[in-house]
Amino acid sequence: MTPRDTASDRLRDRIAARFESPALRWGGIGLILVLMAVLPAALGQYATVIMTNALLYVVLALGLNVVVGFAGLLDLGYAAFFAVGAYTIGILTLDFGVNFWLALPVAVLAAAIAGVIIGGPTLRLRSDYLAIVTLGFGEIVRFSARNLAITGKASGLSGIGQPWLFGWHIATPTDFYFVFCALAILAVVVSLRLENSRLGRAWLYVRHDEDVAEAMGINRVAVKLAAYVTGAIFAAIGGAFFAANLGAISPESFSFTQSVLILMAVILGGMGKIPGVILGAFIVILGPELLRNLGELRLMVFAVMLLLIMLFRPSGIWPKRGVRS
Amino acid sequence: MKVLTKAATAGALLALMAGTSVLAQETIKIGVLVPTTGSEATYGQDMANAVTIAQAEINKAGGVLGKQLSMVVGDDACDPQQSVNAATKLVSQGVVAVVGGYCSGATLPTLKIFGDAKIPFVITAANSTKLIPANPGNAFMINSTGDDQATKAVEFLGAKGIKSIAIVNEGDAYSQDLATLTQKSWEAAGNKVVDFETVNKGEQDYSAIVTAIKAANPDAVFWTAYYADGGLLIRQLRQSGYQGVIAVGDGSNSTKLFDIAGKAAEGVFAFSNPTAEFLPAAKDFTATYNSQFGTAPGPYAPLTYDGMELIADTMAKAKSTDGAALITALKATDSPGWLAGAIKFTDKNTLARSNFIVLVGKDGAWARADQ
Amino acid sequence: MSVFDIISHQLVNGLVLGSFYALVALGYTMIFGVIKLLNFAHGDLYMVGGFLGFLSLSAVASVVGSDWPGIFIAMFLSMIAVGCIGVVIERVAYHPMLAAPRLSILITALAVSLVLQNTVLSLTGGQYTAFKTDLGFGGINLGSLFISYNQMVLVATSGVLMIALHLFVTRTQFGRAMRAVSIDMDMSQLLGINVPVIIAVTFFIGSALAAAAGTMAGAYYGSIWYFMGFLIGLKAFTAAVIGGIGSIPGAMLGGLILGLLEAFGTQIPFIGSEWKDVFSFAVLILVLVLKPTGLLGKSEQERM
Repeated sequence: MTPRDTASDRLRDRIAARFESPALRWGGIGLILVLMAVLPAALGQYATVIMTNALLYVVLALGLNVVVGFAGLLDLGYAAFFAVGAYTIGILTLDFGVNFWLALPVAVLAAAIAGVIIGGPTLRLRSDYLAIVTLGFGEIVRFSARNLAITGKASGLSGIGQPWLFGWHIATPTDFYFVFCALAILAVVVSLRLENSRLGRAWLYVRHDEDVAEAMGINRVAVKLAAYVTGAIFAAIGGAFFAANLGAISPESFSFTQSVLILMAVILGGMGKIPGVILGAFIVILGPELLRNLGELRLMVFAVMLLLIMLFRPSGIWPKRGVRS
Repeated sequence: MKVLTKAATAGALLALMAGTSVLAQETIKIGVLVPTTGSEATYGQDMANAVTIAQAEINKAGGVLGKQLSMVVGDDACDPQQSVNAATKLVSQGVVAVVGGYCSGATLPTLKIFGDAKIPFVITAANSTKLIPANPGNAFMINSTGDDQATKAVEFLGAKGIKSIAIVNEGDAYSQDLATLTQKSWEAAGNKVVDFETVNKGEQDYSAIVTAIKAANPDAVFWTAYYADGGLLIRQLRQSGYQGVIAVGDGSNSTKLFDIAGKAAEGVFAFSNPTAEFLPAAKDFTATYNSQFGTAPGPYAPLTYDGMELIADTMAKAKSTDGAALITALKATDSPGWLAGAIKFTDKNTLARSNFIVLVGKDGAWARADQ
Repeated sequence: MSVFDIISHQLVNGLVLGSFYALVALGYTMIFGVIKLLNFAHGDLYMVGGFLGFLSLSAVASVVGSDWPGIFIAMFLSMIAVGCIGVVIERVAYHPMLAAPRLSILITALAVSLVLQNTVLSLTGGQYTAFKTDLGFGGINLGSLFISYNQMVLVATSGVLMIALHLFVTRTQFGRAMRAVSIDMDMSQLLGINVPVIIAVTFFIGSALAAAAGTMAGAYYGSIWYFMGFLIGLKAFTAAVIGGIGSIPGAMLGGLILGLLEAFGTQIPFIGSEWKDVFSFAVLILVLVLKPTGLLGKSEQERM
């Protein structure tokens, strides 16, 4: 334990330890699933829409977590991949009449290619240069979406249709809520699998010491690129369903602020820790809704929180689990 | 007796919690969708103030269908994602009609939400032409659209004997739309657009663009975006010695343009929707607004006041608060209007006439230029 | 206008813009030099400098007027205040993080930037503030080329500040110590240099230069707002990288080059001005990828 641990940390650790018991853990997961299922009926449409947004952020934040939390790369232009996913769906379904489910893999592929194009040459750079390059890339994507006719220029695209799935027309807010529930669960499962995989351990080594990792035979650039592309794929899937849900997308949805909000979700809860990132996503979305009268101060509160967390609790709000030495 | 008192207390408490009057059960809820936070909050608050005045007047005169009106404000923060949340919240709070809509980008995704819920939406400021095809039939635009403004600009500049113009926009939905529409109709009228530029919001230094404009040497420069950056551009144009005509779109119709551009804004023309100071019918409204809110009504206050009146009037005429009935009744509107003139809709639910006026900068304030 | 006229006009435009970029880039490069930190909050110090300059001018205008003398006094006050803010930021936010992983300190810098931006946002409501001055529109005509007196004062002031900085760094004991710290912090400490003081002085000077640029920009262009530091922060960083990060002459050169690139960038045939920023960011990415040491920078072996 680090000396910074307080009584509250120990309490959280103890609660967390309780969940080590399989029965309780599966019970907990079952309870969460039941709560997720009954939420729309219990809380009404407004809460459903807000929760849908929060679940979208869970997907995005888990994707960015692969880049920032697992591989230790600061990405300040993550919204660009979100945009690539959303615009690919918009363009293919509107201009070319492609079915949503056929356009989805194209969107994923497009984001992966974008990840390789921008990541390939830049991942060798120092981490602060990489942060600026990703920021620049994010702005280039947003400016291009604003200037090109095919992306609808500044007004964006509207009238994006909603998909059918085996005779189920995903159209109402509740339908989309369940779709995003499924996506969030999928994102959590994939993240857990990745974390415990060979690749996950390679990320861990690279994050802690690149030189040692390389000496151990890990291909530094390839491993970083894998993180980058994985993150891009998460964002593209989130973006695709975001476009279908809203029906209209415009460059403002993919600004630098969007990238920063997703990054905040990753860091507030505790980067690298999956439950922490989920918590962070909920804080970023539900916080301002619960504190409506905060208004302008919303980002301010987040910024101060971010600063305080970096200074006093760099591991995030979620408790450190299993760090006992 | 005791039970009754208890019930009354509970009812009053509930009503208080809902933030409305004691007669909560008896009111008809009208949603107001405007930005009350973010960079456009001033305009949104102004529109909400106008609705407050209209609501008070309607209620004082006995309300509608024997009931009082209450308003529920939804903050869209001029952001497409937040506006969806705000619109859904309004729907779930049981509003029967919605008035407002300032930012076109934030208004666009809400059309479907109100459309699905069969709730009529009277849009009083947002006027991008992109709203028209996205309208499921429940939205009614009582502000003239970008098309009308482009037509007015072409007419006015043409009448001044201007042959060539430069168009500058800010790369956002509203100003890009207006710039492209103006370019089309200006060229259709057989004139030339010698320079078409896009600047970025908050860039400060427009000198390179100013040089490009001067090199193209247009008779007039038309700025289609907002006052903040417009003020800087106008100042830098005049500083560099540009002598031609400068005109700005309705987004720059603010006295703050004079704060930023200073003397350079003298003689600048602005196309504007009707604002309170130039509407003879809005004298009492202006006085009420001034005494109630301690400031003059903003650019969209009269139209938003009219929007609220239109909804109340339509409910009275249709003798119903049912969404479908209201939408049908709104389509058939043929009203002399309240503050800003007659209201009648085209088959696309846009205002059947152009309400644009032309202003000119004079001694640090706007004056009518077309009278 | 002839082609020659356009070129000479754009040269002047690029020079004015470039001197703002250079002043802000200097701070980036100095701070990077001593603690190897990319100070994301630097552009926001330019913005805060603009606002404090505005407040100072409002305070002194009744005595000295709001023409150049008043603006210079306001600029001086703003430089001192923002210099102190810079020192406080370093002590409070960056100093405890120097030993932490680079990712943490970068995120901390981002957080500081967001706190500064949002503080001013909530104070001003996100509205533009008009920076009213009595500056005239006068100038001189050189043939068809018009140069305003304001442009001349701006470029001259930036030049004086940069020369003063250059003399400070190369001719004084302090400057020598600063260069020693930037080469090897641990070794300098061993040699008896008071490293924390050197770092504080570096932050003070870097932040003060940003404040000077912010005040002059506010007065020259006529308005200030909370987000004005974002773009210029990025551009100045680009300028610092083009010149070679860590190199003071490099920052000046990089600023001027970027200013000129942008001025002429609006007139590339067949590409509209809407692509101008895409062009700037592409230049940034290309320089970082192809020649990360920039024009005047020394190659660096250290990784991460």
